[in-house]
Amino acid sequence: MSQATATTQDVKSWNGGHSPFNVSYGKMMMWFFLLSDAFTFGAFLISYGTTRFFSAVWPDPNKVFHSFPFLGEANAPLLFVSLMTFILILSSVTMVLAVHAGHYNDRKGVIKWMLWTIIGGIAFLACQAWEWTHLNHQGAWWGSFTDPATALSSFEHFFTADKAVIAQHGLQATHDFYNYFFTITGFHGFHVFSGVIFNVMILLNTVNGKYELRGHYEMVEKVGLYWHFVDLVWVFVFTCFYLL
Amino acid sequence: MSAHHHNDNDTQVLYEGDQSKLYSGLMNHHTDIQSADSKKQVSKIWKVTGILAIVTIIEVALGLYGTGAGMPKGLVNVFFLLLTIYKAAYIVRVFMHLGDEKKSFLITVLIPLTLFIWFIIAFLYDGGFWLEMNTKF
Repeated sequence: MSQATATTQDVKSWNGGHSPFNVSYGKMMMWFFLLSDAFTFGAFLISYGTTRFFSAVWPDPNKVFHSFPFLGEANAPLLFVSLMTFILILSSVTMVLAVHAGHYNDRKGVIKWMLWTIIGGIAFLACQAWEWTHLNHQGAWWGSFTDPATALSSFEHFFTADKAVIAQHGLQATHDFYNYFFTITGFHGFHVFSGVIFNVMILLNTVNGKYELRGHYEMVEKVGLYWHFVDLVWVFVFTCFYLL
Repeated sequence: MSAHHHNDNDTQVLYEGDQSKLYSGLMNHHTDIQSADSKKQVSKIWKVTGILAIVTIIEVALGLYGTGAGMPKGLVNVFFLLLTIYKAAYIVRVFMHLGDEKKSFLITVLIPLTLFIWFIIAFLYDGGFWLEMNTKF
């Protein structure tokens, strides 16, 4: 009996008139966009993994990323990228708080937390700009480390492997490593950048009272999904490039 | 026609962009951000923040001292991957509120991701195979 009732309700929920998922069109499309974006990032990271698996040697992240602004030659592996990770996690937290304030039609709360989220996003981008500039000063860029005459001393310190193996395969591995690094963190950074732009737009609309007039803050929720996704991708980029 | 939170007239008059009114939480009668229910949700958000921070610290510690302390690199990597999935699950379930959506929607979003299982196995295996071919022959 109870089963029959459940079936009837189930059929009804797909009969039209309202969303069977109880989700608005816009929010559902944001989810499906993010799903497709997940496959784009996934393809990048898996391609990186494939290259890494067919390389005889691969740079050790602890030896490539060991600098911190203003600390000169201090050896601080993982410290700077940990800071970047915390910044992004915290900006994700302030974003959830903005969405939460939106659920309660709390305009001031939305403004406050969106502002913090934007500040976090800009701080992350600033960190990334520093990291890229620093690596670039060390000779790294797209298409770098291709000249066969490159001195072994300019890349052997990235590796923990046997010196003969580094001499044979190290240059190609360094080249591949940096190409993937700049492409993937660049693609992620571009997502952060566009996310900041979206957040600013939504903040302006909130300040102008647009969502108060509309009666709901679902736009905050939608850009929130995008912003969390950017944080989510960073969790995987962090693991693939700096930990594994 | 069933009407969960509203009557059919509402549905008829709302234009598409305003559909969101039905599903944006407005109908859940949230009013006071200082309410006990609201505070409970906020404290959950901070709790998850703490979990994400602690897991990140563990990951960094493993990255710095794991192999030095005698752990095999393979084992350290298994920990990295498990902790990554653990963090990702919290972000999706709590921060993106996927855990609060209807189960049918949750499944619709997650099922396509299972393609990654084969995607990862196939491509990494291919990479390993080429390394073997290049090294042995």
